Amino acid sequence: MHKVIHSENIKQSLQERGWKQKDLAEALGVTAQSVTNWLKGSDFPRPDKLLKLATTLQLGFDKLVKTDTVGQPVVAFRKKAGAKTTDAHIDKAMVMGALLKALVPFLPPMPALRLQLPAPSTEYEPLQAVVSQVRARLGLGEEAAVAYHDLIGEFAANGAVVAPVLWGQKQNHKNALHILLPQENVTFIFLNLDTHQEDFKFWMAHELAHVYTPDLAGKEAGEDFADAFAGALLFPMAVARKTYEHARTGTKTAEGKVLTDQAKAYGISVFSVFSEVNRYAHSESLPPLRHTQEQIHQMRQIQRGKTMSEELFAPVPTEPGAYIAATKNTFKSAFFESLQKMIKNKETGTGYIQQVMDIPMQDAIALHGELID
Amino acid sequence: MTTPVLLDTNTYLRLAKRVRPFVGLEFGQVQYVLTILKVTEDEVHRNPHLQFRNPWFDQTEYAQERIAKQVRLTASEKAQVEAAQSVLLGWARMDLDRFTSYGRSPPGEADCWLLAFGQVRPAVVVTDDLGMHELVKDFPDIKVWHGYELLAKLRTAKVVDDALIHAIYEALEANGDMTRTWRDAKHTTFKRVFGSGPKA
Repeated sequence: MHKVIHSENIKQSLQERGWKQKDLAEALGVTAQSVTNWLKGSDFPRPDKLLKLATTLQLGFDKLVKTDTVGQPVVAFRKKAGAKTTDAHIDKAMVMGALLKALVPFLPPMPALRLQLPAPSTEYEPLQAVVSQVRARLGLGEEAAVAYHDLIGEFAANGAVVAPVLWGQKQNHKNALHILLPQENVTFIFLNLDTHQEDFKFWMAHELAHVYTPDLAGKEAGEDFADAFAGALLFPMAVARKTYEHARTGTKTAEGKVLTDQAKAYGISVFSVFSEVNRYAHSESLPPLRHTQEQIHQMRQIQRGKTMSEELFAPVPTEPGAYIAATKNTFKSAFFESLQKMIKNKETGTGYIQQVMDIPMQDAIALHGELID
Repeated sequence: MTTPVLLDTNTYLRLAKRVRPFVGLEFGQVQYVLTILKVTEDEVHRNPHLQFRNPWFDQTEYAQERIAKQVRLTASEKAQVEAAQSVLLGWARMDLDRFTSYGRSPPGEADCWLLAFGQVRPAVVVTDDLGMHELVKDFPDIKVWHGYELLAKLRTAKVVDDALIHAIYEALEANGDMTRTWRDAKHTTFKRVFGSGPKA
């Protein structure tokens, strides 16, 4: 990799200190010519001198070294309710992305032809048209419920690698993490299995939308589209219309029951049903449902189902072998298979697994042990 | 004038329960002093598995020993350590192939903080992490020992005896915590303790 010193930052730092280049050369124990060559970009400091440069000027790596932003990972979070994404979260995800580049050569060949949605829109009618196409592609009728395994095949078919992770229900700030590696043309999708089934399916659909819209990756518009797409895919207009008609005929209590029954039938949260029915009503200029958003949130808290990990691995916590097998068999993911190839081929250490999956070291040691057996 | 010997999490957990007292212990002609940084303390507290496997960690005797000997940095030193940590992290990430081979992992934030500290305040870092050992090959001012090297120096300084070294090796085996480097050292560095090992 061609490395170049960020000469503007260094010159500015020298100016702030009232130093000349020869003062810096003296502090670092190098010739003034060396410093000149670094700043011209014709030479790069040896690592020990780069470190000395950092401590002397108190500048970090990004301020000292010009890095190529072209191949940088693009990350997007599906946060937990109320969680705030900080710079530290973004940095950590970027590091995960950088580390995942080392895994790419061990992935199975990725398909060159992928479904991409041109000019994605969150407007009701165009969105429903897109959703109809995708449902037809999945072999689903216009009122059929989507199961999470219906979505699984779409990830691999579109160059995305699903990595189901056990991040706990509360410990981690995110429930899903999407990392696009633009140069490698691969997307990694980390999905937290310690989430309720009804939410999990929504996040899968949300992440699928990101896979279909790589040009919107990392942008606010991409998040908005993914949310709208997920809701519409899981509870499309034909179902929303029937639910609306049914819900509006009875009392408010009966309306609540219609919504919760539909949530159960479609394996999604009552909030998703409520939102989609109201979107339909809005598109038809009809009055909205009688429940408020707050009332629906209360209903949702009462009717929580099992988590995905409880469903897959009961009793939890699971053994590493079962977890790896579920990733391969249930999620049809090549993630651990590829990781295993890498570890065996390169003798990669446990710390790589810990960092790339953002898991505790002891869990990484257990997975590493299972993968090298 | 003493030279701090900074223990990474695994080294501390491997040795602190058996070598008593541990943190703050001065040994050797260079006058090394065993030291633990807050970043190491935090790493254990953030990790429920480590706490579960090492319930003694927060017992008064061990916690007080660590708190009493904690090192404080001035604001300027902290800024230097942060800058150095950032360079070490960035440098390792530019050469991922090298740091994902031969049992190595790219050093993480806590690892690089220790190494950066070792650069700013001349100190020795003790770790069995092969990625950290590989990284310092590019930064020769940072001194790094393996855990078994520390144990050997403690033996030379007569802080530990052969019986304790036997007990430490038995514990590593029993806990499934025996690394390749510790195993290799058994019949080389510790030849006088364990003999020269089975003939090939």
